[in-house]
Amino acid sequence: MTRPATAPDTRDIDIERTRLTSTLAETWKTPPGFWGALTTVDHKIIGRRYIFTAFVFLALGGVLAALMRLQLAQPEARLIGPDRYNQIFTMHGANMMFLFAVPVMEAVAVYLVPLMVGTRNIAFPRLNAFSYWIYVAGGALLWIAFALDMGPDVGWFAYVPLSGPQYGAGKRADIWAQMITFTELSALAIAVELVVTIFKQRAPGMTLDRIPLFVWSMLVTSFLVIMAMPAIMIASTGLILDRLFGTHFYNPAEGGDVLLWQHLFWFFGHPEVYIIFLPAAGMVSTMIEPFARRPAFGYLGLVMALIATGILAFGLWVHHMFVAGLPRLGDSFFTASSMAIAIPAGIQMFCWLATLWDGRPVFKTPLLFIIGFIVTFVIGGLTGVMVASVPFDTQVHDTYFVVAHFHYVLIGGAVFPLLGAVHYWFPKLTGRMMSETLGRWSFWLIIVGFNATFFPMHILGLEGMPRRVYTYQPDLPWHGLNVFISLSAVVLTAGFLLFFINVLKSARFGEVAPDNPWDAPTLEWATTSPPPSYNFAMIPVVGSLHPLWDERDTLPVADGLRTDRRELIVTTLAAAEPQAREASPRNSIWPLLAAVATTIMLIWSIFSPWAVVWGSIPIAVALIGWFWPKGTPEDES
Amino acid sequence: MAGVLLGVSAALAGCQREERQLRLDPPVADALDKIALMPSRIGGAPPEVYFKLGKPYEANAYNLSQGKRLYTWFGCKSCHGDGQGGSGPAFLDGWWYYGPELVSIFASIRDGRPHGMPAFGDKMTTDQIWQLAGYVQTIGSYEGKTAAPSRNDEKQTRPAENRAPAKLLFDEGPSPVHPDQGPTP
Ligand code: HEM
Ligand SMILES: [Cu+2]
Repeated sequence: MTRPATAPDTRDIDIERTRLTSTLAETWKTPPGFWGALTTVDHKIIGRRYIFTAFVFLALGGVLAALMRLQLAQPEARLIGPDRYNQIFTMHGANMMFLFAVPVMEAVAVYLVPLMVGTRNIAFPRLNAFSYWIYVAGGALLWIAFALDMGPDVGWFAYVPLSGPQYGAGKRADIWAQMITFTELSALAIAVELVVTIFKQRAPGMTLDRIPLFVWSMLVTSFLVIMAMPAIMIASTGLILDRLFGTHFYNPAEGGDVLLWQHLFWFFGHPEVYIIFLPAAGMVSTMIEPFARRPAFGYLGLVMALIATGILAFGLWVHHMFVAGLPRLGDSFFTASSMAIAIPAGIQMFCWLATLWDGRPVFKTPLLFIIGFIVTFVIGGLTGVMVASVPFDTQVHDTYFVVAHFHYVLIGGAVFPLLGAVHYWFPKLTGRMMSETLGRWSFWLIIVGFNATFFPMHILGLEGMPRRVYTYQPDLPWHGLNVFISLSAVVLTAGFLLFFINVLKSARFGEVAPDNPWDAPTLEWATTSPPPSYNFAMIPVVGSLHPLWDERDTLPVADGLRTDRRELIVTTLAAAEPQAREASPRNSIWPLLAAVATTIMLIWSIFSPWAVVWGSIPIAVALIGWFWPKGTPEDES
Repeated sequence: MAGVLLGVSAALAGCQREERQLRLDPPVADALDKIALMPSRIGGAPPEVYFKLGKPYEANAYNLSQGKRLYTWFGCKSCHGDGQGGSGPAFLDGWWYYGPELVSIFASIRDGRPHGMPAFGDKMTTDQIWQLAGYVQTIGSYEGKTAAPSRNDEKQTRPAENRAPAKLLFDEGPSPVHPDQGPTP
C-alpha cells in the first residue's frame, strides 16, 4: 500500500500550510492512469463519471424520442414497424426513468453533498464505486439487448400479464426486470451513503437548521429510495421467477394476483417521481439564493414541504390504477390524497416566488431555467390535479393527455432545474464557466420547443389519440397536430444539441472560473474549483445557514486531523458536535470485481435459476476480498 | 470491460432467438410448404429455405410462443390435453408414432393422420403450422430450451415447456410413469 507522506500520527496543525496541502494531496490522491481509474473511491471522480454517463443515456433516450416523432409525423408511416416501436417506447421510458432521471440526481448528490456539508469523502466510498459499476452494467444490459432485437417491449411499467410468461415471449421482459435490479441496487447503495454522510459527517456547527436545502432534499429523497425501491425489486424478482421458474405470484388461476403487480409497481412508481422531483426542488432552492441575492424565503417551510411531500408520496400510488376497477371508497381516498400533495408543492412554489419578488434577481442562465421550471411545472401540476379526479382520468387514461402531463412534470420539474444546475455547478466541476450566450440560446430553444412539442399533446389526448400506438389512420383528425409536434421536436432537439455543444466547448475553452463565481453562500464554494482530492485542507466550522455570506473573509476551521491517513470528522446527528476522527477507506479494486461478479450472476439468472447458486460463489469471494481485515486498528474517539 | 463481457455473452445467447417476423413473404411461405417427406410419411427433410432462415421454428421464442397460442386456439387440447393425451396420443412421454423430427410433426398437422387426427392444412397458414409444430416438439422434448415458453396464466397440470416437462417421464426411476397412449394406429 502507499506509504504515508508524513510520519505516523502527524496532525494538520503541526505543519505549515503548503506542506499540509501537499501531504493531504499525497494521502487522498487517486493515482493517474488506468489502474487509478478502476480503483478510485473519490466521490468527485465517481460523481463526475456518474453525471457524464447519465447524460449519455439522456442523449440516447432523446434519439429514441426523435425516432418516435419521426414515425408519428405522418399517418401510416413505414419507418418503424409495430414490434420495433413497442421496443422503442419501452426503451425510451425505461431508459429515461431508470438510467437517466434517478441516477443523474443521485450523481449530482454524490458529487455535491460531501462538499456542501464540508467533509472529505462520501460515507462508504467503496460502496459508491460499486454502485457506479453496477449502474453502468445495468445500462449496458438494456442497450445491448436492444441492439440484439431483444429490447423490452412491455412499456416502462411492464404490467402483467402482458409481461408475464404467457404473453411476454422470449427474454425481453426479463431484460427489463433485471435492468431494474441493477439500477435499484445502485440507487439503494447511494441512498445509504447519503443518509450516513448527511447525518454523521456534517461539518462541526452545521446543525439541522443550517443544512443547505439541496442537502435536505437529498436526505428526504434517500429515505424515499430506501423505502420505495425494495417494492420494485421484489416485484421484478417475482416476475422473473414466474417467467423462468413457473412460480405463480401473478397467476390468478393458481392463487396469484395480477393487481399485486400494479400495487407493488406503483408503490414504488409514485414515490419514484418524487425521487426525481425533490432533488430538483432542492437544486432550485439552493440556486435561487445567489441569483435572487437574498436567502431563500421560508427555509423552515421549504424543509417541511420536502418532508411532507416525502411522506405523502407513499399515499398516492393508487391514482395510477383508477381504471383497474378498485372499490369506490379507495378511489375517493386516493383522489383526495393526490390533490393534497398540491399543498406542499404550492408552499415551495410560493416560497420561490417570494424569494424572487423580494430579491434583486440577476437573470443568468441558471435563473432562466428556474423560471422556465416554475412556469412549466405549474402547468404540469395543474393537469396532475385534473387526472387525479377519477371521472376525468377514466376519459384520458392511456391517451396522449397523460403523455403531455408527465412530460410537463418530468422535463419541466426535473430536467429544467437540472440544466440550470449544470450551468451553475459547472465551474465547480471543471474550473471553467459555461458560455452565457450559448446558454441563453439553448434555454430559449428548449423552452419554446418543449411547449410547442408537448402542449398540443393535451389536445391530441382529448381528441382520443391513445399512447403507445405506432401509427394512426389518415382519416383520423390527428394528422395536423402530429406534424406540428414533430416539427417542434426539431426545435427542442436543437436546444439540447446547443446545450451539449456548450458543455463540451466550455469544458475545454471556457473562461477560467474563480473559486466562488456566483458569490454563493454554501460550503462547496469554500474550496477551489475544481476541489482538491481532500476537498478541504481544514474542515470548516459552520456558524450559520449561509456561511460564505455571513463569514465572508474568515471561515473558522477545525484542526487536529491526521495527515498521514485519510481522516474526517464524525459529528452528532442534530447539533453536529464533533464526536470522533474517522478513517475513510483507501482505493480498492474489489468494488469493481464485486460488481463484475454480481453482473454475471444477475444476467445468468435470466437464463437459469442455478445461476443464483453458482454465481454467488464469485460474489462471496469478491466480498471477502473487499472486507478482508487490514490489521490497522479502528481509531479512537 | 464489464460491457464487453456482457456484450459477448448476450450476443451468444441472443442471435435470432428474439426476432419477430410478423408476416412471411409469400414466396418464402410457399417454399416453406415444400417439405420432402419419405414415402412412409414419417421423417424427411425441411425445404432448403428453412435452413437459410436459420431454423426459425425451433429456437425462436416468438414463434414457439405463437405455437403455444395456436395449440389452444385450434383445439389441439380437446384430444391431446395439455400434452398428456386423451383421445389423441400424449406428447409428454416423448413417444412419437411418426418420429420426433419437425417435418413429421409438420406433416401430421398439415395433412392429418389416420385414427382421427384431422388435417389443418386448409385452416392455417404454413407459417402457423410450422410454429405449432415447433411448439409441439418442445412439449415432448427432454431438454429444456431457453426459448421455449413458460407457464400460462391458468391451472397448472404439468411443468412448463421451458422446464422440459417430458424429462420426468423419460426418467424411468423407481416408479416409472406410464401415461395413457390413446389408440394405436
Ligand atoms: C427530449 C425530449 C423528449 C421527447 C420528444 C419525448 C417524447 C416521447 C414520446 C413520443 C413518447 C411515446 C409516446 C407513446 O408512443 O405512447 C414518450 C414516452 C415516455 N417518455 Fe418521453 N420524451 C422526451 C423526454 C423524456 C424525459 C426527459 C423523460 C423522463 C425523465 C421521459 C419519459 C417518458 C416516459 C416515462 C414515457 C412512457 C413510456 C411508456 O409508455 O412506457 N421522456 N416520450
Ligand atoms: Cu403518481
